[in-house]
Amino acid sequence: MAQRRTNGSKLLMTVLCVVAACRAVPVTDLLDRASQRSDRLHSLSTMLTQELDSHFPPIGRVIMPRPAMCHTSSLQTPNDKEQALQVSESDLLSLARSLLRAWVDPLLVLSSSANTLPHPAQNSISNKIQELQEHSKSLGDGLNVLSGKMGPAAQTMSLLPYRGGNDLGQDKISKLINFQFLLSCLRRDSHKIDSFLKVLRCRAARMQPEMC
Amino acid sequence: MLLLLLLLRFSGAGVRMKGGLRLVVLLMLSVESSSLSPPGKPVLLGCRSPEKETFTCWWKPGLDGGLPTVHRLYYEREHLEGTHECPDYRSAGSNSCFFDKNHTYIWVDYHVMVEASNALGNVPSDPLKFDVMEIVRPYAPENVTLMVEEKQESPYLHIRWKHPSNTVSRSGWITIKYQLRVKQENSNDWKNYTSGTQMGFSLYSIHPGVVYEVQVRCTLDHSSWSEWSNTTFVKIPNCEFQRPFAPFVALQLVVKIVKRFLLPPVPGPKIRGVDVQLLKSGKSEDVLGALIVNQNFPPMVARKDQMEEYLIVSDGGEWLLPAPLKSQKKKKSSFIPAGFHLDSQCKESTPSQVQENKDEMKSSSNLEQKQEFSGINFAAADLQKGASENFMQRLPNSGYVDIQRQENIVEVDGILVDYSRVKEVNGDNVFILQKENVPLSLDVQRREESMSEDYSRVKEVNGDNVVLLNPHMTGLSKIGVCTDLSSDGYVDTIPAPSLI
Repeated sequence: MAQRRTNGSKLLMTVLCVVAACRAVPVTDLLDRASQRSDRLHSLSTMLTQELDSHFPPIGRVIMPRPAMCHTSSLQTPNDKEQALQVSESDLLSLARSLLRAWVDPLLVLSSSANTLPHPAQNSISNKIQELQEHSKSLGDGLNVLSGKMGPAAQTMSLLPYRGGNDLGQDKISKLINFQFLLSCLRRDSHKIDSFLKVLRCRAARMQPEMC
Repeated sequence: MLLLLLLLRFSGAGVRMKGGLRLVVLLMLSVESSSLSPPGKPVLLGCRSPEKETFTCWWKPGLDGGLPTVHRLYYEREHLEGTHECPDYRSAGSNSCFFDKNHTYIWVDYHVMVEASNALGNVPSDPLKFDVMEIVRPYAPENVTLMVEEKQESPYLHIRWKHPSNTVSRSGWITIKYQLRVKQENSNDWKNYTSGTQMGFSLYSIHPGVVYEVQVRCTLDHSSWSEWSNTTFVKIPNCEFQRPFAPFVALQLVVKIVKRFLLPPVPGPKIRGVDVQLLKSGKSEDVLGALIVNQNFPPMVARKDQMEEYLIVSDGGEWLLPAPLKSQKKKKSSFIPAGFHLDSQCKESTPSQVQENKDEMKSSSNLEQKQEFSGINFAAADLQKGASENFMQRLPNSGYVDIQRQENIVEVDGILVDYSRVKEVNGDNVFILQKENVPLSLDVQRREESMSEDYSRVKEVNGDNVVLLNPHMTGLSKIGVCTDLSSDGYVDTIPAPSLI
């Protein structure tokens, strides 16, 4: 009796797997969805930097840390169109995944700081950060699925730990400055992710020029 | 003036001089000779990358110091050692510096400044710090064309444009999104529309006789918006201007008339198992009957007001309702037709009676032969004079009226069609019979004089084997079985046989 049950469940699992495989979403479609998410991510991060900039202490611009200090700056990425077009698909995907993964923790920090940010647009900023987190999570999941379909090279990820701590600063000015600095790093990385995924999408969709 | 200069020199050489005095001297010097001064401080106006592959920086020179002044741009770049000078001062015009593809890198910081130099000194501008990502700003879209399209007397505006020059993206490196705005000529009210990545847009809410202005702009990867394109104007033609097209309008009218009065009506949508007419009739029982498909109800009495003839052919799921459709104008709602006869015969009969009738008929006419015409189940629509057959056929799956075909035709006054000959059903009113011995798809086993009558019912003949039936009430039939429920429980009457 018990054996029958395990056999039955095995059969069920097989059937489900077959069904799932038969109905698997094609890679081009997955890439398209991923690109749309990354586009939204980049749009949000751009809007955030602009919004924060609208009421920013001038001194902040002077003493803002340089982007080389971003926690993701150690990752080697292509820096122009030609370089980007020469990177292999798996590497492009791996870069995108590593960058995305690197922002999970900092987004948490940003999110908690946004609640008490001394800025007139604090509410809107806080909402956007939340949306960013959601899109980032769902994009991460999608890219995980994609990487499974693209071979072992795509599965490798670089680790880029965030060491900025949970606190963005004690006083108003340093809070704002560090917040803006993180956002500018995020904007750069979200643009990278978006650009890489769109190059990937275009490359994968050879039959569909409208994807380019 | 020379004296003052000399004085200044020697005083600075060693003799202590009060700072204020020195300043006064200098001022006097500058007043006297404005041509001899270091250059004014230049101002870096900004930089722009139109396609994420190159960029240009512009500056505005300060006041000329009276001496020939040279401006030089210097830059530093993240991940690049040292300070470098502008690679190209010419391509982008005066007071500019052009960075070509080889010198443009994205996602790295540039630190740029301009220095003005003349014989008297160098004056740097304020530096500009930026990432190429931040200075992306495409040019405006080009070739905005407007076309007024006429569709069914309501014009709409079709707007088309091309991507900005120098941005042909076939690699996915850039994504351009467009936005357009439209306003009427004499108003200040622009309406904005987003077009996404499409390079065309259709505007439907336009008024004839008005001039519209259209502008388009774009963004690249969520960068700053480009400038608005040059304004394009279009005048929507007035309706009166359509007079020259009167012949076309007349032609349209003719087509409409032909469609409405000469050609058969287009059948409306049908839902399998649901009788539209019955639903329309609004009678609760009818409605229920129309909707119930799978239950075995006892056969119901035929309705009195069912004066409609009908020919229903079901071909594996398609319902053809020529008669009811034809008579839609008359708003008859009955789907269970037949004719007076049937009614009079049926209306008193109870289910049991009907059953009896059935048996009676069965015995009397030794008809009963179920037949399925390769999926076509028939419900004969008309009563014919003298038609004594009882067309009852069970429809296995379609919930429809059953007809029983009879092999031997007994006393038939009318003309029977041998439905077994039905080979194919095309559309509503048409069924193509096999050729054999059926001229015009008639299988007349008994040629009666009424043949001609029946032919009168032929509305249209398409080819040899195709006959379009014109439902026509002729009334009498000895036998009518009003309603019978198919196995699907569909309630319906069964009109007597016949037909042409």
